[in-house]
Amino acid sequence: MAAAEARTGQLDFELWVTERADALLRFAYVLTGDRNLAEDAVQDALTTACARWGRVSRADDPEAYVKRMVVNAHISWWRRFRRREAPIADPVRSGPPAPDGAVDRAESDAVWALCATLPDKQRAAVVLRFYEELSYAEIAELLHCAEATARSHVHRALAALKTTLSKEGAEDA
Amino acid sequence: MPEHEPEQELGPKIADAFQRRAAAAAGPRGSALAAEARRRVRKRRQGMTMAAAAVVVAAAIGGVWNAIGDPSPIASSTSDSSAEQGSSGTGSGRTSPGLVPPQTESGPACPADHVIQSPGGASAVPRGTGLDLETQVFGLEACRYRLTPDAPMLLGQHSLNAGIAQQVVDAIKVLPERNPDLPVFKCTPQLAQAKEAIVLRFDTSAGVKEIWVQYDGCDTPGFFTGSRTYGLYAAPLKLFMIGSTRPTGSTYLNALEGW
Repeated sequence: MAAAEARTGQLDFELWVTERADALLRFAYVLTGDRNLAEDAVQDALTTACARWGRVSRADDPEAYVKRMVVNAHISWWRRFRRREAPIADPVRSGPPAPDGAVDRAESDAVWALCATLPDKQRAAVVLRFYEELSYAEIAELLHCAEATARSHVHRALAALKTTLSKEGAEDA
Repeated sequence: MPEHEPEQELGPKIADAFQRRAAAAAGPRGSALAAEARRRVRKRRQGMTMAAAAVVVAAAIGGVWNAIGDPSPIASSTSDSSAEQGSSGTGSGRTSPGLVPPQTESGPACPADHVIQSPGGASAVPRGTGLDLETQVFGLEACRYRLTPDAPMLLGQHSLNAGIAQQVVDAIKVLPERNPDLPVFKCTPQLAQAKEAIVLRFDTSAGVKEIWVQYDGCDTPGFFTGSRTYGLYAAPLKLFMIGSTRPTGSTYLNALEGW
């Protein structure tokens, strides 16, 4: 009986991961901006989820539960390695602006590059806000901070992005 | 400027950038991630199991070591002949589990007649009988005696295991020489004599060793080891004043709370 339950639990976990792995990896990639970090974050989160799969699988939204683990893992790395972080140079757009249909893509690349320069918590807040479309209250819960702080993270990030984009726009003109 | 303007202006651009990048992201297959997660969980559990096993083995080795180090009942019998004489008439034996050595007639069981009942006071522990409080103890027999000269007798006794015995020792050895909160009486020698007292008989590797507890009369109350006196406080008392070894009150106990 117990063995049968364990087998069922195992199948559930395998099946669930197979279905959700891509979404989790995409989310982790957007969150970390690095494929290796994303894979590590997802693997760590899935290991934790596997160990307590009974509880995770009973959650209202297991995917949100595991994404929360990914965020926690990322913040944890951020805490562990914050002193070892190397400053990233300000992004510089090389070459002239792309013509015609490629403008959108160029702008998208520029935004992505600018997001890479954001502090980890600001970036996490921006990802949760615009990629996951979470409310500020939900972001605050995930980042273990006050709602006002979560709002502040996003607004500071937007202000920084806007300033840089405006400067580049002026240079292009 | 409205607060949400930067969000409305840049939000769609950021979302678009994230979606484009996310769509291009690829990683290991889900099954590989799940398999690796299971492997890590198994490894983690194996590590925990091994750690738990190591703790159990260490505890078992400690248990065997303690068992080897236990005092021999034969040695105890030769070290205290009064215990042997008295044990036959006092009834109940040990019931405590754990590290308590096997109960024998010659163990620390309460003798019916004890030297504390002889005239001379309940604090005059004979030389060589008192417990050195740094000694490891393997059990304790609390013996409550009536000391009135006309009818001395064993009023009650209680067995305590090694853990509690050690707690009693630990609670006594931190006490000051006297408890300043207790009253000081002036009385005649007749009234000074305590009507009852308790003898704590500890099982040690050197045989039975005692602490005498005086809590009645108007002489100095406290715990007496023969070489030192410790003030009468509630903390050790409540560990062994149980059942038949619990007095209803006394001159000093009436002034003490929490025993």
